[in-house]
Amino acid sequence: MNRFLSKDFLSGVMFIAFGLTALWFGRHLALGTSVRMGPGYVPHMLAYIMMVLGLIIAVIALYSGGEVVEAPRWRPITLVTIGIVVFALLFESTGMFPALIALVFIASLGGDEFKVLEVIGNIAVLTLMCVLVFKVGLQMNISVINGVW
Amino acid sequence: MDLLGNLALGMKVALSFQNLLYAFVGCMVGTLIGVLPGIGPVATIAMLLPITFHLPPTAALIMLAGIYYGAQYGGSTTSILVNLPGEASSVVTCIDGYQMARKGRAGAALSISALGSFFAGTVGTIIIVMFAEPLTRMAQKFGPADYCSLMALGLVAAVVLASGSVIKAIAMVFLGLLFGLVGTDVNTGAQRFTFDIPELSDGIDFAPIAMGLFGIAEIVINLERKMSRSGAIKVSSLWPTREEFRRAWPAVIRGTALGSILGVLPGGGPTLGAFSAYTLEKKISKTPGEFGKGAVEGVASPEAANNAAAQTSFIPMLTLGIPSNAVMALMVGAMIIQGIQPGPEVMTKKPDLFWGMIASMWIGNLMLVIINLPMIGMWVKLLTVPYRFLAPAILLFCCIGAYSLQNSTFHVIQVAIFGVLGYIFVRLGCEGAPFLLGLVLGPQMEEYFRRAMLLSRGDPMVFIQRPISLGLLITTAILLVLMALPSIKRAREEAFQEEEG
Repeated sequence: MNRFLSKDFLSGVMFIAFGLTALWFGRHLALGTSVRMGPGYVPHMLAYIMMVLGLIIAVIALYSGGEVVEAPRWRPITLVTIGIVVFALLFESTGMFPALIALVFIASLGGDEFKVLEVIGNIAVLTLMCVLVFKVGLQMNISVINGVW
Repeated sequence: MDLLGNLALGMKVALSFQNLLYAFVGCMVGTLIGVLPGIGPVATIAMLLPITFHLPPTAALIMLAGIYYGAQYGGSTTSILVNLPGEASSVVTCIDGYQMARKGRAGAALSISALGSFFAGTVGTIIIVMFAEPLTRMAQKFGPADYCSLMALGLVAAVVLASGSVIKAIAMVFLGLLFGLVGTDVNTGAQRFTFDIPELSDGIDFAPIAMGLFGIAEIVINLERKMSRSGAIKVSSLWPTREEFRRAWPAVIRGTALGSILGVLPGGGPTLGAFSAYTLEKKISKTPGEFGKGAVEGVASPEAANNAAAQTSFIPMLTLGIPSNAVMALMVGAMIIQGIQPGPEVMTKKPDLFWGMIASMWIGNLMLVIINLPMIGMWVKLLTVPYRFLAPAILLFCCIGAYSLQNSTFHVIQVAIFGVLGYIFVRLGCEGAPFLLGLVLGPQMEEYFRRAMLLSRGDPMVFIQRPISLGLLITTAILLVLMALPSIKRAREEAFQEEEG
């Protein structure tokens, strides 16, 4: 069973999956002829080559085994991703400051150590830096707190 | 040859107040991220790409270049004082640099590596000046088929010289090429893989992908493993003894020569240069037993090599428009953001940008010696900042940077998506760099391919009928065949094993 969990086998499967996705979403793109290529010619070509490569990688991995993929630790990747998404949702509706607090807070939860005072200090320093760099320095058109500043 | 005239123009541009300022900012940021383990030049340049949009093109490129070679200087400081590589390219410096520091020669190791880097940077800049014109003139003779083959060679060579499985890396190149095709097809106006998202119709944006793949994925991996920091060694006198100096300078020259050559090769660059230089020194040394116990040569040569390679890796990007590693791919992205199509035209159409950037590299190297040696105490203090403060700061800069590209939160979401994808790549042992190279070259390569096929009336033989294209394709094929040979495969695996360990 371990063979199916090797890094190489899973990468091969990943390349094939990407190839199939490209073929499916590019199915309406005209191929054209090799003289006058349609928009679909090169994408189809690339997708097929990639799938063949993926198949070779996967088959070799099944025969020769290989390194088993490490079990991921879910906490950092999940919290970092949630942090970015929450930032994106808050940024335009509430402004930079609340989005920043949410991002730093959620991302800090992803680390090993979480000390509230440290995180608050970090938020203060970063807010100051962002205001100085983006608002004052680069004069970017972003609001710090929506409707206030 | 009006080489001197070109250099004079370059100096004039580089010495303007604004460009000096941005060169300085670039060198400072480069040193900073070089000193700090856990964030490299690729992630930093990706993070700063949106900001460069607000700057004039010359200033933007000068700053980004400064970050790249500045990181080579900063990386050695951490290696020598804390025995942690600040950058991948200074991994070997840890071996003998830290041992020198333990013997109380930290200052000497630091100044030898800074001065060696400066010498190498100067030579590297001179090499760029010498090669820029002839290479550009050669590139102007290239037709569409030749360009297509040149890109194929560039991509394959980059893959062969990178670490890890070759076939996986090639598959990653294809995946990158596919992502590069997202957007409106230039020839027919058809929407490809845009999923009716208006932001995607101009093509998928480069900066959020690079931030996600390199910045976010790197942060997550670093958060997973505990980063322990041992205390830094105190620095006393910066001056090397006469004996150390006598042993260091031939090593610096050897490292510079080797690094300069390896930097020009596609897929080469600072890391490869430093590793090869260390191996070379160990082989030719009369006292190989000293290596690993604080040999001066083991610091001088790799440090010179990584900086020389950082400089000369600009050559293919500046003259041919072909990036040879991930950082150069980002530089191409920065040029495209500024509306400059990288390639041989840059030198003829924008001589002030071209020569200004080259001249600024030498000035930047000079600044770096000053930034690194007298200010060493400040950088050492920075090493005590724990990673749990840095990670949210990097994340935040990525998010705001991505938003500012087009004032759209869509790009921030894109960072998150590619962060997850980048994490999957790392876990599966798939390299991000070939993906990035494919992504940058994708649209151009398709364009040249279609044009070449149109000119030849659909006959793929055109790629082997033109002598330049044929030569390039044969070189590509030889590289691929060489990789498949068992003896070379084994040697390559051994070479990269040292790197991982």
